[in-house]
Amino acid sequence: MEERNLDKAIDILTRLLDGEEVGRNSGANVSLYEAYSTNAQVYDLVNRMLNRMNIKLYEYNYCLYITAGDNNQAFGFSNGDLRKELGLKVNRELYLCYFIIYQIITCFYTDSSGYNFNEYVKIEDIMETVDYSLKHIIDNLEILTNKETEENSFKTLAMMWSDLPAATEESIRAVKNSKAGYIKLVLNFLISQKLMAQSEERYYLKDRARALIENYFEESKGRLYEIIQGKEQEDAAY
Amino acid sequence: MTEEYIMMQDIIQEHKERIENIKKYYPFFKLADNSLLQWKEGKYSCLDMGYITMAVLRFFIDENNLKDKDVAYQEYESFLHTILVRDFQLKVAEEEEKELCAYLFDKLLNEGKPFSFDYFDPKDHQKKTIRMKLIESRIIDSNLFYRITSEAIEFYLDTKEIKEESSISVEQLLLSKLIDTQNFKGGIEVVKRINREVNKLKLRRNEVLAILSADVFEGKKVYEAYINDITKWFDEEQRLFKKNSELIEKALEKAELDKKGKENARFFAMMDEIYTLELEIKKAMYKHSELLSLCTDLQLQADEIVKKSKLSTLRNSFDFNHAMNQMMEKDNVEAMEALILPLLQLNVKKQFSFVLTENLLSMKAENQEETETVTEGEEAAYVYEDELEEERISGNFHKIVRILFEKLQREQAFTLHQFNEELIQRLGERVLKNADYYTFLVHMCQKNTYSVREIRQKPDTFFEEIVHEILERKSDYDELCFRLIPKGEETVKITEMLEISDIQFEKVDESWKKEI
Repeated sequence: MEERNLDKAIDILTRLLDGEEVGRNSGANVSLYEAYSTNAQVYDLVNRMLNRMNIKLYEYNYCLYITAGDNNQAFGFSNGDLRKELGLKVNRELYLCYFIIYQIITCFYTDSSGYNFNEYVKIEDIMETVDYSLKHIIDNLEILTNKETEENSFKTLAMMWSDLPAATEESIRAVKNSKAGYIKLVLNFLISQKLMAQSEERYYLKDRARALIENYFEESKGRLYEIIQGKEQEDAAY
Repeated sequence: MTEEYIMMQDIIQEHKERIENIKKYYPFFKLADNSLLQWKEGKYSCLDMGYITMAVLRFFIDENNLKDKDVAYQEYESFLHTILVRDFQLKVAEEEEKELCAYLFDKLLNEGKPFSFDYFDPKDHQKKTIRMKLIESRIIDSNLFYRITSEAIEFYLDTKEIKEESSISVEQLLLSKLIDTQNFKGGIEVVKRINREVNKLKLRRNEVLAILSADVFEGKKVYEAYINDITKWFDEEQRLFKKNSELIEKALEKAELDKKGKENARFFAMMDEIYTLELEIKKAMYKHSELLSLCTDLQLQADEIVKKSKLSTLRNSFDFNHAMNQMMEKDNVEAMEALILPLLQLNVKKQFSFVLTENLLSMKAENQEETETVTEGEEAAYVYEDELEEERISGNFHKIVRILFEKLQREQAFTLHQFNEELIQRLGERVLKNADYYTFLVHMCQKNTYSVREIRQKPDTFFEEIVHEILERKSDYDELCFRLIPKGEETVKITEMLEISDIQFEKVDESWKKEI
């Protein structure tokens, strides 16, 4: 192994861990991307090191993106971390945010094989999608027992959502006192995660999001379906 | 009070306007209601006057406005003939059919009189009559021709029967008519309506795209119908826009010529209307070309969607809506973690939380403690591998010891070779390949003499412990006492590869042991 290749591989790794973009159009990191895509040894080293750290690497549109692998305690977010990040107190609020993020994905993607040509979404579009998705549960909401409201269930999410006013004031602030506020809170978080970009009232999906959505869901669909079916519940929550 | 005022205002002030608006429907219902039951003793009652009215109106629109020519009676007659034969399968003599056509035409023209409808105008406190014609006649070069009236076009337009094909075209035709009659104000309204239609088509384009994205098969059908309609319109539309622009130019020239002898104020008002109309038409044309470019985009996108869909049908992909439905069905909210968390960046900001510091200082309980659910279950009985081994060894030893003791009871002395034969006889040949047997011999050879009674009192070696266990269950061998005499160089051959030293087993008295 050449010393120079090892140095390059470590450089790529540190830039990626720092949250920098390594791609064909990434300014200072172009040469690193070139090394990754043309030098088999560098490619191999980077992938091996990331594998050992349980970090997944995806290449999309000539750019590299990384994300923490399953159950990665060192680099992944826990529910507690995310609650802190989003300023939430309890898990059910966090699950509502997860639900909103998922609905934002469905605004752009129907399945992982390709996006549906929606260029951008607005807060009202997302609100409509969430309303629509929870509608059949909201319609069937009857008197819930205390136990049910405390549990993390879709009924709880639907009830929380239906209890919120659409918006409390004209300018939408990222606070959890209205539907629009919740969505804004989530959108701000997604922007901070470099998954979305904002232009006035329009929110666009960034390449990083596309890379992860198209690759992650595609390659993990079997495992994800198992989790959805409840077979891996214990492993899934870390 | 205010509400009541508004209501009364609606009822009184606007009544005339409302009646004006609905008057265009009146001739149709009057014609449709006036069945053919009375004529010729109901011979033609099978004919639907409503359908015939609509068909004839469409025919007039086509001739007058699309082909820009007046209709002669013979043309109407031949058109109606096709309708009667094709749709009502009417087979009558030529003379009789001519009579029928004339009768129907008379009805459509209301015997030359306008269709009139009386109503009360609450504003003026008097009865008024509204009049309307569907078809009007004029004489050109001593020949009688017919044209459809603008009200009749408006009526046809409102029924939206030809909307899917070209409502814009009909609006344009109406516009030509209005410019012809110098009704520029009405023309502006029509162009605005055209613009609204174009906007609707633009919105429809987005709908088509949305359907395509969601369901490619359904979307493809809608897309093809939409593109088909749109492309059909474009040629016609452009021609009509051009014609209307020319008409406006002519109207402007005419207005300039007519300037003399007219009041200034009226002239300027008219010019103003013409200019506004021209502006609106230009806007409409711009919007139209915008729609055209949007359609081109749509074609490209549709092609790409269809291509992607073809590819995706070949490989199984993760369906987001299906996944969400499954989660809801199972009520598995936690599964969302596995779907969302991997999309986030690395969590590299590891900081010691200040909240935790505070908690440490004040020893506060956490805001929400997550409870652990303890499920009750039965403790499993674990058996370790060495326990299994021990059990096996002890079982084998028991069998061998029992056979040995039995043989000792029967015989005074025997060799290992003879004992082996006994073992083979009782346990099969495989016993000599069992490692436990040789372990047993090794353990047994640790001592020369064994007295069962002594073993019972105090087991000394591992072998004696095994014997002790057997004796606990069976006490027939209490008197047994035996010794082992190694036979030096004599060996017992077990297999080709294996041989062991022979041993003599000999039963002795207890006294003999004491002597030693």
